[in-house]
Amino acid sequence: MENMAVKMQGITKAFNGVKANDHVDFYLEKGSIHGLLGENGAGKTTLMNILYGLYQQDEGTIMINGKIEDISSPVKAISLGIGMVHQHFMLARPLTVVENVMLGRKSRRGILLDTKQTAQELAAVSDKYKMGVDPYSKIWQLSVGEQQRVEILTAIYMGAQTLILDEPTAVLTPQETELFFDTLREMREDGKSIILITHKLEEIVEIVDEVTVLRDGKMIGTKKMDPSVTKGELTNMMVGRDVLFNFPEITKQPGEVKLSFRNICVRNDKGLPALKDFSLDIRESEVVGLAGVDGNGQKELCEVLTGLRKADSGEMTLGGEPVINKEPIFFINKKVSYIPEDRHTTGLALDWSLKRNLIFKSIGKAPYSRNGLMQSKCINAYWEKAKDEYQIKAICGDEKARSLSGGNQQKIILAREIDVEPEVLIADQPTRGLDVGAAEYVRNKIIEARNNSAAVLVVSADLEEILQISDRIAVIYDGELMGILPRGADTYEIGELMMGKREEVAVSGK
Amino acid sequence: MESKLKSTVKEVLGTVIMLALALLVGAVLVVISGNSPMEAYSTMLRGAFGSAQKICELFVELIPILLMAFGISVAFRAQLWNIGATGQFTIGAIAAAAVALYIPVPSGIAIPLSMIAAVVAAAFWAALAGWLKNRFNANEVITTLMLNYIANCFLLYLVNGPMQDPETDLSQSALVPVGMMLTRLFGDYRLHSGIFIMLIVTVIMFFFWKTNFGYRINLIGQGEKVATYAGVNVKRTTVMTMMLSGALIGLAGWIQIFGIQYRILSGIAGSYGDIATIVALLGALNPYGIIAAGVFFAALRCGGNSMQRMTDVPFSVVDVIEGLIIIFVIAKTIVNNKTLGLRDKFRRKQGGKAHVE
Amino acid sequence: MLSNIFSLSFLVSLLAGTIRLATPILIPALGQIYTQRAGILNLSVEGTMLMGAISGFTVACATGSLWLGLLTGIVVGMLFSLIMAWLSITVRANQVIAGIGLNILGAGFAAYLYRVIFGIRSLPAQIDSFQQINIPVLSDLPIIGQIFIQHNILVYLAFLLVPLTWFVIEKTTFGLKIKAVGEHPKAADSKGISVYRIRYSAVLIGGAYAGMGGAFMTIAYMNSFTESVIGGRGYISVAVVIFARFLPSRAMWGALLFGLASALQLRLQALGAAIPSQLLLMLPYLATIAALIFASKKAEFPSAYTLPYSRLER
Repeated sequence: MENMAVKMQGITKAFNGVKANDHVDFYLEKGSIHGLLGENGAGKTTLMNILYGLYQQDEGTIMINGKIEDISSPVKAISLGIGMVHQHFMLARPLTVVENVMLGRKSRRGILLDTKQTAQELAAVSDKYKMGVDPYSKIWQLSVGEQQRVEILTAIYMGAQTLILDEPTAVLTPQETELFFDTLREMREDGKSIILITHKLEEIVEIVDEVTVLRDGKMIGTKKMDPSVTKGELTNMMVGRDVLFNFPEITKQPGEVKLSFRNICVRNDKGLPALKDFSLDIRESEVVGLAGVDGNGQKELCEVLTGLRKADSGEMTLGGEPVINKEPIFFINKKVSYIPEDRHTTGLALDWSLKRNLIFKSIGKAPYSRNGLMQSKCINAYWEKAKDEYQIKAICGDEKARSLSGGNQQKIILAREIDVEPEVLIADQPTRGLDVGAAEYVRNKIIEARNNSAAVLVVSADLEEILQISDRIAVIYDGELMGILPRGADTYEIGELMMGKREEVAVSGK
Repeated sequence: MESKLKSTVKEVLGTVIMLALALLVGAVLVVISGNSPMEAYSTMLRGAFGSAQKICELFVELIPILLMAFGISVAFRAQLWNIGATGQFTIGAIAAAAVALYIPVPSGIAIPLSMIAAVVAAAFWAALAGWLKNRFNANEVITTLMLNYIANCFLLYLVNGPMQDPETDLSQSALVPVGMMLTRLFGDYRLHSGIFIMLIVTVIMFFFWKTNFGYRINLIGQGEKVATYAGVNVKRTTVMTMMLSGALIGLAGWIQIFGIQYRILSGIAGSYGDIATIVALLGALNPYGIIAAGVFFAALRCGGNSMQRMTDVPFSVVDVIEGLIIIFVIAKTIVNNKTLGLRDKFRRKQGGKAHVE
Repeated sequence: MLSNIFSLSFLVSLLAGTIRLATPILIPALGQIYTQRAGILNLSVEGTMLMGAISGFTVACATGSLWLGLLTGIVVGMLFSLIMAWLSITVRANQVIAGIGLNILGAGFAAYLYRVIFGIRSLPAQIDSFQQINIPVLSDLPIIGQIFIQHNILVYLAFLLVPLTWFVIEKTTFGLKIKAVGEHPKAADSKGISVYRIRYSAVLIGGAYAGMGGAFMTIAYMNSFTESVIGGRGYISVAVVIFARFLPSRAMWGALLFGLASALQLRLQALGAAIPSQLLLMLPYLATIAALIFASKKAEFPSAYTLPYSRLER
């Protein structure tokens, strides 16, 4: 009992009648790293949000260091020595590091801010753990990796003995991940206890002492990690079945160049350069995977390729025809399909019905529109067809897109974008946030489109995915093309490029 | 589809409860002003529906309210907050009067010409706000409002200056030619042939949301990002939406000049802009709702006028009731969220768990 | 005519008028800096100011105490904005719609109160408003004294609020929390800040300032109440905040710009300028549009601007 940092028993939490956690038991030994494994939607984050006081459990008890505690708020959690680093960083971007830290603690100067003192102490902790964080830099000036260090630094500064990390490696390169794991090991040496939320088996095997698996809100089991535990066993616990990655056979070899762009320069929303002289060719029946850490210009590239963002300079041809900076409708008419990164604000009109979401790129086009009027019958018929073909689970076509799960939402987008038999398919993070089954389905559909002669660009932060489905792998860093590698390239090599370390040899794939 | 019907019934029922609540608060205000609420409300009721003449008056009020509410709903559906109905109405009325007074053509030509002038002027006045939003990202709530004040100043200038009726010192223009006035339908009652225009527009509005343009407007209302992604030219559609919105409002101005006022005068838009805004919102921006809300508010105005004349209750009680109605209707969403939770629970279970975790 | 415009006395009265007319825009604008920084666009300032104007005027009339009137205006402004806070924060209603609704309610209610309290009169009720201060020597200084040292006390109070607002926003924990809930409410929540409480406070502060600005119009400027006493100043103050990119010092310059436009209109009218007075009346409104054109592209709005917050949603 003594050596339990956290002990959660019979935790139940429901949202609108759906049980996100159903009598979950979880414990964390002091000075250990405990993995929390499960698919998207399995209830991992909910459980940890309860531990961190963001939600209150409907049932169950929580013991911290052997004492039953009622964690009514994050403040209480922090006072109990619990810190959490969320998947989406909890940092206000226009504020400085020290201002973000001061948000979470009482000022020693009453109603006035104690900026100077806090900054000094922060710098001291940063030096101790060799984090190299400047307390006065603004968050938006920092890279994603640096922001993560700020989050961890903040937690430690606030006195965290137990640290919850929610999918921390999703935004890191393989090399950064290694460094990050070293930090974790160091912290474990220091006697801190760590909970690592993840759905990546490799990480569990590599660093974790113990693992708890959740599925559909229920606890499946806890295991001490030793060499006898296999990945297959864990997968089975996580998914409830053996996952076989069945890809459709590649039936066609890449053909002629379909989409070609040269020396593209473009700015991001802040007006800063996002792409610098970016050039790439994509052939018919070819999947080019674009690997890179989030925010290195991938989104801007996809937007230029679909007309959503205007390039400052550069050339682009589609089937030989110059198409740079045409309007989005031009690309839609040319059968350039786009699965955007952000389902909620770009890919779907959340408060529109499902069937309208299916056809909203066809407003004013036959057969969905005749004589200026949209044809409900025709739209209904298409909905029925697409629903079956793409296995969309919904009550009816009049339901709002908002009410669907992430996987089903993505299927609506897939149906709309792939059913037009695209000439070019741009897929930006097509499987992010989906569970294993839905992700597999999406990847299958992408391969199918490829076999139907589409030129495909897949952007993903998930290297595993890139390696699985790409014919060629392009790597982007800070808006520049770092290199193009063939299918089956070495992960480590890709990782180096993702961090901006260019090897002359690598830039030969063009 | 049964559940859809049920939720509609619930929606309507909720709205009725909110209306009743607003009238209840209104009754309290009547008491405070030292009057009997029973008397006030019965006077209102009689003032709105008490005779054939009163019902004609109700329709006279309904014509501009409905047209403007439709115009406002077009913009609001695109999440373009056109608060400039008053100004667009004023500009439309000015243009109509200017054509009638200064272009010496037979009324057969002058009538359509003045209508086109009113519609086009108001459309461009509204489009100005759309253009400012596109070009400079200027918040349309504020620009349309400022354009109201500017239009009003312009009107004041005209009716005290170049367009003032030389016969009087009042702030008004001369009368439009008799031949251009809209025919009265029932003898001396003020109800005029403008009602047919209202009916035509109403019928069109039922179809409008099924048109390509209607879909595009709706999609913009879902967010600029998704609309752009879907291939809608957001900037162009924004301007066109504002133009259509302004055009319908300008049409109301035209009707009011040739059907009721026969001249422009200071404050010609009255409080139609505010009422139409409430009607559009209360009607949930859909044609059925707007018609129901429009009739209710026309009745409230007519009844309020009677009440002010016949009793000692100030008309501002009606203004307060209007304000309360809209606040209550906004607040209704939270009541809905709580009472309808059960139904949602059921739906969520089947629909998946979009918001879990 | 032209020589009149460039005369010293014209300039002096123009600048003095600028400062006086900037005040009823500056006060609500400073309040809206709190509100908008916290992520809430409160368009009901106009209605709130009207409520502050009528209530301040009534109490000042009844008690004979202008200060009590001012206090009442502030309190009523807060109460009225409490509705806005509830609608936008708790009900999570569309803030634009809530603002429009409250303006209609405020206008109606103010007119009702005036009618019920003061009855129908041929001449509007009047009070002795705040008098301009008179500091011997200083106030009599030529030019400087006339421009700067002949206003009523509220004008100085308003301008003192500028550094105070800056200090609160930039140097206190409360200010930091306001910025945080406007930028990233979820982060603020996860750090133990009550997003609701901070946002309610921010809206209420805005309401207090708006009520004060409204009361200023009736008991320190006009000395009577009419239904058009605010005349769009509430909306203009919202525009000033956007123009000022949410900074108090820039809001002051913005308010002075509108003060100048209004004062110019009044002065030119007094001179009997050839331009009709009704067209001159457009000046402040045109200036508002011009300011929005000038500023909106550059304005960096708080990330959570106009977005309601709920812990349960991502």
